[in-house]
Amino acid sequence: MATVLNETEIDAFAPAKTVDARGAACPGPLLEAKKAMGGVPVGEVLELWSSDSQTKNDVAAWAGKVGHEFLGVADADGYERVFIRRAK
Amino acid sequence: MAAEEKLVVMVTHGPEDPEIATIPFAMAGAAVASDVEVVMGFQGDGCLLVKNGVAETVAAPEFAPLAQLLPTIQELGGKVLVCSPCAKKRGLTQDDLIDGAEIVAAARFVAEVTSATNALVY
Repeated sequence: MATVLNETEIDAFAPAKTVDARGAACPGPLLEAKKAMGGVPVGEVLELWSSDSQTKNDVAAWAGKVGHEFLGVADADGYERVFIRRAK
Repeated sequence: MAAEEKLVVMVTHGPEDPEIATIPFAMAGAAVASDVEVVMGFQGDGCLLVKNGVAETVAAPEFAPLAQLLPTIQELGGKVLVCSPCAKKRGLTQDDLIDGAEIVAAARFVAEVTSATNALVY
């Protein structure tokens, strides 16, 4: 179960980059995250927007495999905001 | 840095079955995103998916379209190998195939599969 983040926690992350993958189908949001992460400094946070409810689980699995830190998810208006910290 | 893991994805279904044709691309996409070396092998009607202009016509519900997946997989380092006799039977030459596709014979597929950590066949 992904951690649900509140606005205070999100503000503290101060995401370095936001990617809008709303409307993209599997595995589109994951691929967008992969491509965007290259532009995020190590230690900084990527915010990914997705309207696919499975994205948070897919991204959590991906982050665990490649060594990034999956921070959690927040509900938005018809989509989810997923947060990952670049670890390497 | 070389990938520590390698996945070979063999594709044998063509555009007549969009879902089964798309699933291997979804898996390959997730693999390249996960820093896994990926080799996609196209045999039988699967060869038709890497004919110029065909990927743009294949989309399965709830999956990203091939027109998005195929170039992304290549951009992230995935290789595209096409079975030589399968291509020949369908009248496909190198000029008919997408950039980066390589026509190979059986021994190359054997070498790729036996050196991989895992293989998927669709």
